[in-house]
Amino acid sequence: MLDELRQTCRRLLQDGAVQAVIGYGRASPDDPAVPVFISKPEDVDQLVWDDRCFANLTKYLSRKEVLSLGKLAICVKGCDERALLVLEKESQIDRSQITVIGLACDGVGQPRLAKCESCDVHMPRRADIVVGKATVPDADAGAKRYAEIEEFLKRTPQDRMAYWKKELSRCVKCYACRQVCPMCYCRQCIVDKNRPVSISTSATLKGNLAWQITRAFHLAGRCVGCDECTRACPAGIDLRLLNLSLAKAAEENFGYRPGMDPDAEPIIGAYSQQDHEEFIR
Amino acid sequence: MARIGVFICWCGENIARNVDVEQAATQVAELPGVACALAYKYMCSDPGQSLIRQKIASEHLTGIVVASCSPHMHLRTFRKAAAAEGLNPYLVEMANIREHCSWVHHDRAEATAKAVELIRMAVAKVRCDHALQPIAIPVTRRALVIGGGVAGIQAALDIADAGYQVVVVEREPSIGGKMAGLSETFPTLDCSQCILTPRMVDVGQHPNITLHTYSEVESVEGYLGNFKVTIRKKARYVDVAKCTGCGQCWNACPSKKTPSAFDYNMGTRTAIYVPFPQAVPARPVIDRNACLHFLKGKCGVCAKKCQAGAINYEDQDTSVVEEVGAVVVATGFQLYQIGKERNGDGTVGYGEYGYGEYPDVIDSLQFERLVSASGPTGGEIRRPSDGQVPKTVVFISCVGSRDNAKGLSYCSKICCMYTAKHTMLYKHKVHDGTAHVFYMDIRAGGKNYDEFVRRAIEQDGAQYHRGRVSKITQENGRLIVRGVDTLVGEPLTVEADLVVLASAMRPADGVEPLAQKLNVGYDENGFLSESHPKLRPVETNAAGVFVCGACQGPKDIPESVAQATAAAGKVLVMFGHEKLAREPEIAKVNETNCAACFTCVRACPYTAIEKAEIRDRKGNLVKRTARVNQGLCMGCGTCVALCPSKSVDIEGFTEQQVYAMLESLE
Repeated sequence: MLDELRQTCRRLLQDGAVQAVIGYGRASPDDPAVPVFISKPEDVDQLVWDDRCFANLTKYLSRKEVLSLGKLAICVKGCDERALLVLEKESQIDRSQITVIGLACDGVGQPRLAKCESCDVHMPRRADIVVGKATVPDADAGAKRYAEIEEFLKRTPQDRMAYWKKELSRCVKCYACRQVCPMCYCRQCIVDKNRPVSISTSATLKGNLAWQITRAFHLAGRCVGCDECTRACPAGIDLRLLNLSLAKAAEENFGYRPGMDPDAEPIIGAYSQQDHEEFIR
Repeated sequence: MARIGVFICWCGENIARNVDVEQAATQVAELPGVACALAYKYMCSDPGQSLIRQKIASEHLTGIVVASCSPHMHLRTFRKAAAAEGLNPYLVEMANIREHCSWVHHDRAEATAKAVELIRMAVAKVRCDHALQPIAIPVTRRALVIGGGVAGIQAALDIADAGYQVVVVEREPSIGGKMAGLSETFPTLDCSQCILTPRMVDVGQHPNITLHTYSEVESVEGYLGNFKVTIRKKARYVDVAKCTGCGQCWNACPSKKTPSAFDYNMGTRTAIYVPFPQAVPARPVIDRNACLHFLKGKCGVCAKKCQAGAINYEDQDTSVVEEVGAVVVATGFQLYQIGKERNGDGTVGYGEYGYGEYPDVIDSLQFERLVSASGPTGGEIRRPSDGQVPKTVVFISCVGSRDNAKGLSYCSKICCMYTAKHTMLYKHKVHDGTAHVFYMDIRAGGKNYDEFVRRAIEQDGAQYHRGRVSKITQENGRLIVRGVDTLVGEPLTVEADLVVLASAMRPADGVEPLAQKLNVGYDENGFLSESHPKLRPVETNAAGVFVCGACQGPKDIPESVAQATAAAGKVLVMFGHEKLAREPEIAKVNETNCAACFTCVRACPYTAIEKAEIRDRKGNLVKRTARVNQGLCMGCGTCVALCPSKSVDIEGFTEQQVYAMLESLE
């Protein structure tokens, strides 16, 4: 499969169909894959593909220095590909100008990440070129997607608040969660605004709560569950749990999963007479 | 350096009773940036305003706070006073220490403390204010009137007579609306058609009026002063330009059995038809669903008879785009569908009255056609089942109205009056007949209205029974009406030949999608919402869109006409200006920061935000951004709430101001 990937990229670069390929490379044998930006056909052998290719590379599509490389091809797993659709819906990318190389994925991490256990997009569905074939079957519809949050919600509200206070008191406001998130593309983040200061910038519990709650709300109906924030967090806070909660609300209230259906309107800001508004009552 | 003046109003005793205004003035005078603070008995009065103006000049004020009533009441007053003294009017803020404080609190010390807090917030806000200029919007001095009933006719004629172009859209083949089908009108009993049809002709012939009948509004773009309205003209199959309205076609049409909608199915019409002889325009349309040419592919009698060659079976729907500056909505009403309508929990209202089941149970508009000289019986009251003259008629009021359980909660307002009228018209035509009325209350407020009802009872002998009817059954060709007379306190059964149900008024079909196109609000019953029930009764929350007639709420003819003239007046006020000044307190995008996610574009209820591109001098795309159309934005702030990067703000009500207000609280 790796040969096929390299072949494909070589051809794209040789033909001049793209000027650069965003893919996975290896900096050291023991570490997870790092992003590489290949501009020359002879460099395609730097590309790797294995179950340590965690990163969601779509983040780089909003980077100026990457865009300046020219026409781009990007390698995505099925889960990352959902981010592309959200970015397209939010007018951040021109999908027709990007060649998407979909990578068949059996899951990443040893043991597999939590998101891979309930994955139903092992095969990318909207890629221009698909490389490989997944051997792991897709999870059934709705199967255990929200198991962790459902388990968590069984605890009392006081208990849950105590958990979050404890966890978020460890946040150091490094904003790695924001920097790695493909959906955080704002030129100036709300937390960086100082007239007025909406979110306290100090790394205290109050400011941390405000930041993480705001971040979660800004991701409601947009987060595709790539879990890069959780992976990036140096304090090891399970941000996935927070994101899952809102993803669950989006699916239960609006039947919406971000990045799944190209015809569905994004739910944030959309108004429908069919909205049942139970969340207001 | 801010120099703020604080002016605290006594409002006579209204504020001073519960708030120690002098003490409040002393306290707020100490606030940073406050140059002077004083109290006065009536700040809105002439001397009060003069005081403000003097202080603006003598203290070189950079902003003022008036602590008095609601800004709804007097913000404009104080802004004008400030502007007259050369202070930008948007540097005036109000602290509402009357409705929000003195009226709702009784403890003087606490109320005074709260008043100080409210003023402190307003001072914090005015310190972040900056001068704003009203927005000038060019205006197309041409109006669109939607609906050609009596309200639409009146509004159109008033605007046209003032010298402006008017476009009238009517979905039926003729204008005239419900009033064209009425017999005589209360409280004068003058003939409805006699007073309406001359006005219909006026509309048809007016040089300033463009009439689109058999047409519907398809889409509305643009904003106050600059609307672009697409109107779909339904295929008539008759070339209106060639047709002379001679009537050869409809007289010869062999398909004669279609129930006439104009007669509320009490009579029939041909497939090619004008709804009624006095129609404007007096040009027929072909009903595809009844025409033998369309059903069976043969016939063509009308085409053969037409000497003008006006019949065109190939006719298609067409669209026209009209550019207008103002829109008047006058879409009128329809009747509550007795026994067929469902409300929330799925119950069907009034099946027990047998409407639709017994031919001699009819609704009030059907009865109008029965007594109308132009109606299917030529004005003779003959019941639908066997054509006999009914000797006993029962009228039931409030069918659907004022009934939360099975109908609608509101009073339809006109039924008491027209039911009294019906009993009189009946008695005038059937001298030996008896009219019974079952009613809940008699609501006859209006000039000469109660006198009219008394006349029906006292002179024309209508039998009024205060009580509801529980069931109507049919036995041996007569209708058994079982009810109660609550004044006597006994059940009452009347054997009747005809029953007339005064069905509730509802907004016309299709008004909700139209309201959505126009961004006009409507209530749970579908009646269009005015912007203020008392002070802005014909304006809507969509700037440049006005309402009149029964689409806004149940109304009789005089009220509809009065409201139509009011709406026309509001349109003319608009047209009196070359450019319109709009309040500048609307959304503004920080285009440098905008991430162009366009969530605001989706969310804006007024479609006021557009996707825009910023390009450099060579035409290269620098970035994309959301941009606010100043004509459309109503300043609601939905975009501000949703913008993830806080790149949009309401001028004069910025996040910074709101934060400053909150942080000023002690």
